Amino acid sequence: MTTTDTDTLDVRAAAHRQKRRRQIAYVLYLILGIILSLLMWQLVAAPFSPLFYLVPPPFDAFRHFGENLMFSERMLERYVHACPDLLDELELTGGGMFDLPDHCFGYIRHIMRTTRNIMIAVTLGTVFGLTVGLSSLVFPRIADVVTPIAGFFGTTPIFIAAPFFVIWFGIEYPLMTTVGVVVFYTTLLMYFFSRRAADNIPVGIIESALTLGGDRGSIFRWVYLPGTIPEIAGGFRIALAGAWGLGTLVEVLGIQMGGGFLIRMWSFAMGVLEGPAAVVSLILFFGVLAVVVDGILVLFIRYITRWSESGRKLGL
Amino acid sequence: MSTVVNFENLWCVFEHRSGQLVHALEDVNFRVDPGEFVCVVGRSGHGKTTLLRVLAGLQPPTAGAVKLGDTAVTGPGSDRAMVFQQDTVFPWLHVKENVEFGLRANKLPEDERNEITNYWLQAVGLEEFADSWPRELSGGMRKRVALASAMAVGSDVVLMDEPFGSLDYFTRRNLHEVLLNLWFETKKTIFFVTHDIEEALILADRVILLAEGKLVDDIAVTLPRPRNEDVRATPEAVGIFKLILAHLGITEEEATQA
Ligand SMILES: Nc1ncnc2c1ncn2[C@@H]1O[C@H](COP(=O)(O)OP(=O)(O)OP(=O)(O)O)[C@@H](O)[C@H]1O
Ligand SMILES: [Mg+2]
Repeated sequence: MTTTDTDTLDVRAAAHRQKRRRQIAYVLYLILGIILSLLMWQLVAAPFSPLFYLVPPPFDAFRHFGENLMFSERMLERYVHACPDLLDELELTGGGMFDLPDHCFGYIRHIMRTTRNIMIAVTLGTVFGLTVGLSSLVFPRIADVVTPIAGFFGTTPIFIAAPFFVIWFGIEYPLMTTVGVVVFYTTLLMYFFSRRAADNIPVGIIESALTLGGDRGSIFRWVYLPGTIPEIAGGFRIALAGAWGLGTLVEVLGIQMGGGFLIRMWSFAMGVLEGPAAVVSLILFFGVLAVVVDGILVLFIRYITRWSESGRKLGL
Repeated sequence: MSTVVNFENLWCVFEHRSGQLVHALEDVNFRVDPGEFVCVVGRSGHGKTTLLRVLAGLQPPTAGAVKLGDTAVTGPGSDRAMVFQQDTVFPWLHVKENVEFGLRANKLPEDERNEITNYWLQAVGLEEFADSWPRELSGGMRKRVALASAMAVGSDVVLMDEPFGSLDYFTRRNLHEVLLNLWFETKKTIFFVTHDIEEALILADRVILLAEGKLVDDIAVTLPRPRNEDVRATPEAVGIFKLILAHLGITEEEATQA
């Protein structure tokens, strides 16, 4: 069963080569997919396409994004009243760049604000949801109280709650609004995912733990906690993916900052030459950001759940 | 230290959704002395698992009681470790951590845990796989992990519900040997559910026969050990075999046809 003869090294090297080849193929297909998508996009944006006026060619969108990222002339034009002569102001306040509204700079500050808000909100929501969800496994009474209430709110689609938040906290407390909606959504989602994850642990495994002398503490630590990780991690991916959309949606609905605000600003200027390019580039940016963050997350999740089948696929 | 297990007027009645009442156990009475190897034999659905679950404290009886010494069983505990019919190895713990679970739960210090874990891993022949994930093991190897986990807890009573039912002939034989060796060394009381008469004859000191929830016979198996093919071919062994068959409602003719 154990092999320690000379062949082992060869076998291992062959396995490594095979794995390397798979990885290279994966990257090649990924690049191929991206190229194909760009080609399609270019076709849709071509002069003969019926969508010619709506869809900017890829290059226009990329260029617009690049030109407006650090400092946006176009945005400054629109908000010139809010941004006194930049250089004078900087000298007066001794370099207090950050006292000026975001509109006086490039997209980057808006985008970073949105990203930060969503990260904060998802983190808070995850901590709340998991704290309640996991502690309800040790103290079932908590679930008796929380589940009906969470179920009541959970059945209200969050997209109904989002405008409500915008009206309630509105433009006065933009941070509260975006963060509020996303925290609300993430908390509910993570609560339900942690409960469901625990329900899906086979009864036999819990009973086995009980007959081996497991009590609340040890079953929580050695059964529930590791056993629920795959589903909770999956739930977290869903929560985060939704949070990108939800966060920017709330900004689009009426917040005066963030990436969603930029999209709204340009959506009023779709007739203007750059409008479509701006909107498409911003949407694309958030899409790519979400995918990249999710990709990093997947690698991390596969590592911590390497005991499961997905771990086998990764060769861990 | 070692305790007598007493089943006293034990009833277990289930009401199904359909309204049907099922007497899974009906007035079961028997007593098991420390160190006995008891096989519980019966047809499917005749109460074997229920008997073990009541003893494990996973199923409260409808009437009567199971007593360890003088105290009635009220819940599960590490004094009655159980090996289940289905795969209950924790997939997220390494083999070694699986065997360690009960010891951790009982808050043993680390060096003691290591010593006991290594001993049982060796006993079931898995010391080389201590750091493997359960998914990297075969079905029989995982059964051995479950066996080691239950044995490592150090309970005087071990319950096993058709533990080797799904395994092939060779793995089964091998595990019988492993189990009997462990039993000789530790002299634990073992309750072993099986529907395989041959298996019962290889393992048991005593066969408890259940039919429709009732204890229909309690057979002492006094065959010499090891119970190899020659021993199982002696007239005495064949007699016991036929007796059990008869209790299960299978005639000799049917048996020879099978
Ligand atoms: N939780 C339950 N709820 C309702 N009925 C049950 C339950 N557990 C067992 N029973 C009933 O009790 C009877 C005995 O079941 P048990 O599982 O003890 O049989 P068994 O002898 O272990 O059978 P098998 O060899 O098929 O495992 C069956 O008729 C079953 O329908
Ligand atoms: Mg059964």
